[in-house]
Amino acid sequence: MTKTVLTVDDSPSIRRMIALTLREAGYNVLEASDGQDGLEKATTSRVDAIITDQNMPRMDGISMIKALRQHPNGRGVPIVVLSTDSADTLKSQAREAGALGWMVKPFTQDKLLAVIKKVLG
Amino acid sequence: MSDDLIAVFQEELAELLESLERGLVDLQENPEDAGLINQVFRDLHTVKGSGAMFGFTDLAAFIHDFETAFEKVRAGDVPVTPELVRLGLAARDQIPGLVNGDPDPNGDRVAILDALRDLTSGVATDVVVAEDTVVIEARQSDAPSVLWFRLSDDALALGARPDIILSELKDLGATQITADLSRIPSLDDLNADQCYVAWQMQLPAGVSPSDVEDVFMFADAEWTLTPTEVVETVEADEIDDLLAEAPSLDAPSPAATQPKTEKAVAAPAAEPAASIRVPAARLDALMDSVGELVTVEARLTELARHSRDPALLSTAEEVTRLSARLRDATMTMRMVPMRTLVSRFRRLILGLSSDLGKPVEFVVDGEDTELDKTVIEKLADPLVHILRNAIDHGMEDPAARAQTDKDKVGCIELSAKHVGGEVHIIVRDDGRGMSPEKIRAKAIERGLISSEAQLTNGQVFALVLEPGFSTAETVTELSGRGVGMDVVRRTIEGLRGVIEIDSKLGLGTTVTLRLPLTLAIIDGLLIEVADERYTLPMSSVKEIFELPLDKRTASRNGDYLDIRGQFVPFVRLRRLFDCAGDPPTEQNVVVVEAGDARVGIVVDRIIGTNQTVIKQVSKLQQGARAISGATILGDGTVSLIVDVAQLLAMSGPLIEPKKEVAA
Amino acid sequence: MTLSASHKIVITFSIGPQRLAIPATDLREIIDPLPTTRVPGAGDFAPWVVNVRGAVLPLGDLRLPLGINDPNPAERPEDARRFLVLEAIIGGEATTVTVMADIVHEVATIPLKSIEQLPANSMWPSEFIEGLFKGPEGEFVLIPDLSAIFTAMAQRAAVA
Repeated sequence: MTKTVLTVDDSPSIRRMIALTLREAGYNVLEASDGQDGLEKATTSRVDAIITDQNMPRMDGISMIKALRQHPNGRGVPIVVLSTDSADTLKSQAREAGALGWMVKPFTQDKLLAVIKKVLG
Repeated sequence: MSDDLIAVFQEELAELLESLERGLVDLQENPEDAGLINQVFRDLHTVKGSGAMFGFTDLAAFIHDFETAFEKVRAGDVPVTPELVRLGLAARDQIPGLVNGDPDPNGDRVAILDALRDLTSGVATDVVVAEDTVVIEARQSDAPSVLWFRLSDDALALGARPDIILSELKDLGATQITADLSRIPSLDDLNADQCYVAWQMQLPAGVSPSDVEDVFMFADAEWTLTPTEVVETVEADEIDDLLAEAPSLDAPSPAATQPKTEKAVAAPAAEPAASIRVPAARLDALMDSVGELVTVEARLTELARHSRDPALLSTAEEVTRLSARLRDATMTMRMVPMRTLVSRFRRLILGLSSDLGKPVEFVVDGEDTELDKTVIEKLADPLVHILRNAIDHGMEDPAARAQTDKDKVGCIELSAKHVGGEVHIIVRDDGRGMSPEKIRAKAIERGLISSEAQLTNGQVFALVLEPGFSTAETVTELSGRGVGMDVVRRTIEGLRGVIEIDSKLGLGTTVTLRLPLTLAIIDGLLIEVADERYTLPMSSVKEIFELPLDKRTASRNGDYLDIRGQFVPFVRLRRLFDCAGDPPTEQNVVVVEAGDARVGIVVDRIIGTNQTVIKQVSKLQQGARAISGATILGDGTVSLIVDVAQLLAMSGPLIEPKKEVAA
Repeated sequence: MTLSASHKIVITFSIGPQRLAIPATDLREIIDPLPTTRVPGAGDFAPWVVNVRGAVLPLGDLRLPLGINDPNPAERPEDARRFLVLEAIIGGEATTVTVMADIVHEVATIPLKSIEQLPANSMWPSEFIEGLFKGPEGEFVLIPDLSAIFTAMAQRAAVA
């Protein structure tokens, strides 16, 4: 069964890059442009993993994760947070909110695939 | 990286740059606005992130420093000052060059960053920019080791997958994997979301702690890796205690990475709703198809009417309803708020104001007013021109203002609003204003009007829009207002819009642009003269009535109608369009309005209203000045659209038209 | 096959007594006459528009720029009339226009070397003629310079 990954990023180019890379690798990809959008898509569609940006308009990544973890459909979905720096506060915030892990931008397509493989098997 | 992705990035970058510019300029006015500061920060952050992703490392590095400077602003340690905004804008302007890979021979970029740094340093903050994670490469273990791990209580809820972890560990060479089930509670206390199992295994020599750390990258787990020598023969249930004493090889948190001051993000402001990006060309193509559909729909309706078949009639009605809905939806998609233009203007005014030494306040109202994107695109240049004129020629210098008891700081107001089927864009300044007498005198001198001409003030001010009014070599404070205004007028008229100027000497000038909401489809009034059918834009039609019998023949005193006490001139379309034959006994007058001028148009009969898809007429026919376009009727014939503004200009006997209609 | 290098494919037609040829590459289609709409004030070269499959195109009359005089217009059979939809460059811009033809004859392949320059003292307006060649019956067939004609006519309309 094809796995579905939701990518949440306000940057269309990054979203597109992630989507293209994952689709080529055989994943199904949903896209959302901010936390609010991501939350809606994650709670209304079957999503196997989420890759989300942190800093976004309307709803940031951390708030989205928190909200998602409150939602019955949002438990158990692995969430990977993207961030442009690797400061520990960010990580612990993300972790506390309910992220499974993080990935530092910029990343290569190979790195992305490796991470998704780690998360989805 | 594919070109396609790069193109997406470029498009995104353009938007970010615009947003950044708008944010910075707005900050100047609202230096304390946390939402704005956050927006600027977010834009920088996104440019940096995307730039790095797409290989623009110079850009990313530059933005990083830019962002660092703004970090202190966000933390509230550095106030927003005009100088900061200026530097921010200067830095922003470097971004396109960085993306293009342009060299920086004069070291502008470094200079800007230095200046930004200087401006934001000297303030006590212990912000340290995070370096990449410090990787502690633990000593390579020569001996085999024992790994023990347990997932945190909520790891499963977070989506961690023990099966994947175990299979990765197997890939590292793990053997003798045993599960530690000691923590599993009784069934009643069991929480299905929680992982109670711990595992222990042998790892071969050569597996380093960082290899293991890599495995647990996406799993919140407690784990220990111990060389085999230490653990020899222990019971599984003793491991816990034993390992509690074992030195932890867990990477310590890098001390250098002090947390950034993370200011609470304000409640998400009203941001535009989620949207998808569509290339403009596709919208245009959609609009074209809708236009064709509307034409076909008109034909269908006509066929249905002739057939009198009730089923066909109701189907046609349904199609009409749907195509109207589709038309509206498509037009809505093409609507763009004025805001997209305004940041450019703020900057222009900011720059001109300081260049000319005329402090002005720029007030914008109705930024959310939406217009068709084609109109917005074409409006930019005329508005720049009008604004430039307002500050350059309209505004007095502060000394002169002081003498007239005016506030030293001038005010330029740009407002946009919907009025009926039009959008009005108004530029108002409180400058010196214009003198109708002087304009009049000059127009007479230039031969634009005869010295006997009786003109309203509106008509007088409209003279500055005439091509012959100002010439480059005679730029004075008065005529300067008119330089290039003929170009502005042409552009606005090309958009089927109208310019109106009003001015009070000493008090200021108001320029109003009246534009149609959309360029593609209008509601039309179909009329007939001498078996020819023409379309009048419904938005300009004010009223329709029967031509009084006593007006059927032309009067020596000119053709005027008394409409509720007002004299309104009228034109006979038959004569204007040089139609053959005699008019019918009963004729109608359609009173149309453009600007504050009204004129009655005498037609043979009114046919009805229709949705009019506007088609351009060829340059070969530009001699037909009273025609602004054409549309295709339900029966496939072409109906020409009457250019009401031109008609008014031509019929106004007060301003002598330089050229008669070629008929 | 280097036919295109040595030959020109043209469509020949007549307006009044005059036979004309235009390159096949400039012709988009030949259609039966359509209902016309008069454009008041548009001048005498292109005084109408027609609806060609949803596009509103000007309908031009080449008689005027080419100075063609038809002494017996009534002799032209009504059912032979056609509209030619052409591509022309007007002031540097590619534009689609229609012109009237009294009759369309044929598609002909003519050797380039048979095309001659307009004689110096000809009665035709040299600025609008690319060249001419001898037709099957020995008559002169004019090749009009469509872009020159339409550009000039557009300028004329602008100052009308």
